[in-house]
Amino acid sequence: MTSLSDILADLVSDVDAVFLFSPNGSFYEQFDDIEDVVVIGAENTVEADTFVELPIPFADIQDRIKFGIEGAMDDDLVGDGDVVACIGSLFSDDADFASRVRVDETMRSGIYDLFTNSRADPAVISDVFEVALELGRKGQKGKPVGALFVVGDAGKVMNKSRPLSYNPFEKSHVHVGDPIVNVMLKEFSRLDGAFVISDSGKIVSAYRYLEPSAEGVDIPKGLGARHMAGGAITRDTNATSIVLSESDGLVRAFKGGQLILELDPEEY
Amino acid sequence: MFGPLQIAVDGIIRGVPVRLWLALVILAVGVLVAYGVMGVTSRLLDRIGVVETIEGTSFERTTNEFGTSTARIITQLSGAFTFLIAVFAAITVADLRFADLFWGGIAVFLPQLFIAIVILVAGVVIADKVELLVSERLRGIKLPEIGLIPLLAKYSVLFVAILIALSQIGVAVLALIVLLAAYALALIVFTALATHDLLASGTAGVYLLLNQPYSIGDEVKVGGQRGIVQEVDLFVTRIETDDEEHIIPNRTVLKDGIVRIQGR
Repeated sequence: MTSLSDILADLVSDVDAVFLFSPNGSFYEQFDDIEDVVVIGAENTVEADTFVELPIPFADIQDRIKFGIEGAMDDDLVGDGDVVACIGSLFSDDADFASRVRVDETMRSGIYDLFTNSRADPAVISDVFEVALELGRKGQKGKPVGALFVVGDAGKVMNKSRPLSYNPFEKSHVHVGDPIVNVMLKEFSRLDGAFVISDSGKIVSAYRYLEPSAEGVDIPKGLGARHMAGGAITRDTNATSIVLSESDGLVRAFKGGQLILELDPEEY
Repeated sequence: MFGPLQIAVDGIIRGVPVRLWLALVILAVGVLVAYGVMGVTSRLLDRIGVVETIEGTSFERTTNEFGTSTARIITQLSGAFTFLIAVFAAITVADLRFADLFWGGIAVFLPQLFIAIVILVAGVVIADKVELLVSERLRGIKLPEIGLIPLLAKYSVLFVAILIALSQIGVAVLALIVLLAAYALALIVFTALATHDLLASGTAGVYLLLNQPYSIGDEVKVGGQRGIVQEVDLFVTRIETDDEEHIIPNRTVLKDGIVRIQGR
């Protein structure tokens, strides 16, 4: 059995940093003597000094690790070429996997950037993601629906779009994350058009027809007009688009005209 | 069989006036009632949640160090007070005239003293609690000087409690009241001065949010700044041009007026 522990020892030997994914208190305390411990999770429950916040609980472990590494790179905790040991829980609540990852500049997929360096508040973006994921999971009365949320830079987005119908959110003060809003958005998603959400999370309008110039927008072939509009508006403005596809049920995020993130609602 | 001792005891019993016996009975009843009051008080304090509310205040901790608790002190005070009333009743019944004047004064003074002590204890506990609440509220603000505000709140409450207690036992507190008034006035004036802009912007913001004379996406001109409205909150309006973002207090919006540009 020595060879098995050797393999594990190889995994964690000479690492520059240890990444702990959502550790519990007693587990975290075991790492007291080790320097360069980075905690990654939804909340800093262990009060670690170095902490990267996960805005959504990525179901895909690769996304989770990538997000953590990107966040750590952004905070200059690790750099190009560093080797990181990732320890977290995959199946149970306890730590049950270890992974050895070499940090590489090419790992910057922009997922971290999407949340933390967008115009809108990170909390607003993750709230919109949650709404979109829930909408994708449950659909509208059991049928799959599509939806397009444009978050941030609302003034410019409003100027690059026109109303399809009366705006149900006019003179209202609803924000994403308010308890009633999920139901409202679900109802309004039955009609076509985009939701425009401001930097602070206020829902500015529904039923907006986006009129960006779609020139030079690079989104995967096969996606429809909704994705094209959502992707293109992010190139013309500093907004972020979160699109729920009606046909394949995936949630996609665009920023700067690029597809940044693709999530399957069924996994959340 | 009447022994000399028996006769002596009999004589003493007969020599003691009936009033004195009555007084002794009243005293005994007083002790019993005092115990009852103590029991009721402690249960009452427990029932209305005083014990949990004051938990963790420094006064409570100090009393704990002396092997007692605030609730117990109050209980004992109420017991002692009841007992004292019984003593007075007994003395009155016993008709001890020699002390009438003295006891008469005390009888008026003691309840006041008791109330004063209760007010003081309550004041100290409330002051501690206020300090705790305020400092908890301000914990998010990482500023060393912020520790002053909870202390200030604590001593303000304490000052008022001492004032009430002193006036209760008849000490002249006019000078202290003047001091309190001056302090309160200074507090109000400074708060008004400090939050004047915020208050004005806040009230203007309420109007803007309710009526929405302009909304996100409109092109407007405020105070010479032209741009697209990005955000309206309670205090400020954010207006953006191509490379600049102007954050304009709502006070200015209402004072200077706003120009909506109808481009489309």
